[in-house]
Amino acid sequence: MMFAPIGAAQHGADQYLFGKDANVDKPIHGSLQVYGGNAYIHAPINGDLLVIGGDVTIADPGKVTGNVVYGGGHIVGAEGRVNGHVYSLTTLQGAAATMTKSAVIVSLLFVWLVVAVLITLLSGREVRYSSIEIRASALYCFALGLVAFTSFVLTAIVFSYLVPYLIGIPLLAALAVFAILTKVYGMIAVFHAVGTLVAGSRTREQLASRKWFRGDLAMVVVGVLILGALRLIPAVGAIVWSLSSIFGVGVALATRFGRREPAFLVWRPAEA
Amino acid sequence: MKTEACERYLNDPDANASHLAECAECSALFSASDATFKPIVDMDALPLAPWESASEKSWPLVIGGALAIFVIASALFAIAGVAPVNGIMHVLRSTIPSFTTLQVVLRYVGDGMQHAPASLQIVIAVSFLIVNTLLIVLLRRAPKGIDV
Repeated sequence: MMFAPIGAAQHGADQYLFGKDANVDKPIHGSLQVYGGNAYIHAPINGDLLVIGGDVTIADPGKVTGNVVYGGGHIVGAEGRVNGHVYSLTTLQGAAATMTKSAVIVSLLFVWLVVAVLITLLSGREVRYSSIEIRASALYCFALGLVAFTSFVLTAIVFSYLVPYLIGIPLLAALAVFAILTKVYGMIAVFHAVGTLVAGSRTREQLASRKWFRGDLAMVVVGVLILGALRLIPAVGAIVWSLSSIFGVGVALATRFGRREPAFLVWRPAEA
Repeated sequence: MKTEACERYLNDPDANASHLAECAECSALFSASDATFKPIVDMDALPLAPWESASEKSWPLVIGGALAIFVIASALFAIAGVAPVNGIMHVLRSTIPSFTTLQVVLRYVGDGMQHAPASLQIVIAVSFLIVNTLLIVLLRRAPKGIDV
């Protein structure tokens, strides 16, 4: 890993590091931003500290007079050494650290179940369409989900260039809302698909023999329970859930949220 | 050929039932209407369609599943020494970063991206164009799955 010592004392100059660790052993007068690297703070920073995609370690005589923002990592030694606020983008990890991880996962599963039931009640037909699409063209959904996820990340980065010009903030907010809706709807379609694959009726006789274990709602609930149980398995659960998310994003976009409308209008010249 | 008698039969078949014995054309058309309908296709032999019974609501399963998950979550929180309701509410609040945090991060990241190395900025721009072009190409394909 590349390692960048932050050398001579800087006066009023903000510093930016990309893909390198930052070792602060001399005072910095300004802010420090580290992307894709860890930050070791052994000297005072008279400004703010932002670390995305790395850990933050603060040790005496290091301190931060401004705010500390970190995401995608952990922070050590912040107690009493940060004059401003400590903002974390990975608050869920914080929650998981204070409670058992399984409790957090099961709680989120409860939320997923409630949301899935509500969405299925409101638009069961659309969810079913998307579920069929996953089973009919799984590879396409996966490929589209992978590309769409990458597109969300890159578009967010490009929009963040526009943040200083104000227009970036509403664009980023719109992108975030769209991404969240895509993921939530897509996951519900995946729940339905998994439920149908595992517990769906194969024949009409089988369907007739079932009293209440039938219908879109039942398939979604079964899917939530199956994927939720898999989610509890260490390592494997996270992989399965991530793959499901990619499938979900893909199918949500492939079927236009189950509406099956064309993504782009076809241009035709006006006829006299 | 349609005659007046044929029209009278069409207007009131019951009152003019004897017309079928007189007219060969009407007899051919309407006398077999009482025949038993024999379906050519055995409906039960057809594969199950996805929409069959899809709208049925299985509330016992929904309530049972939700209760089971809630009880397990509460039990796990209790074991961890956290009040179950507080624990679940904390997780819910933690799922989305606060508005202030997002505001601060956006301000920093927006500023930081302006100072990224030129090579990284070029890679981002090229990747952005390639990936979004690929996305548009993939989105042009019509969905395959049908629900009929």
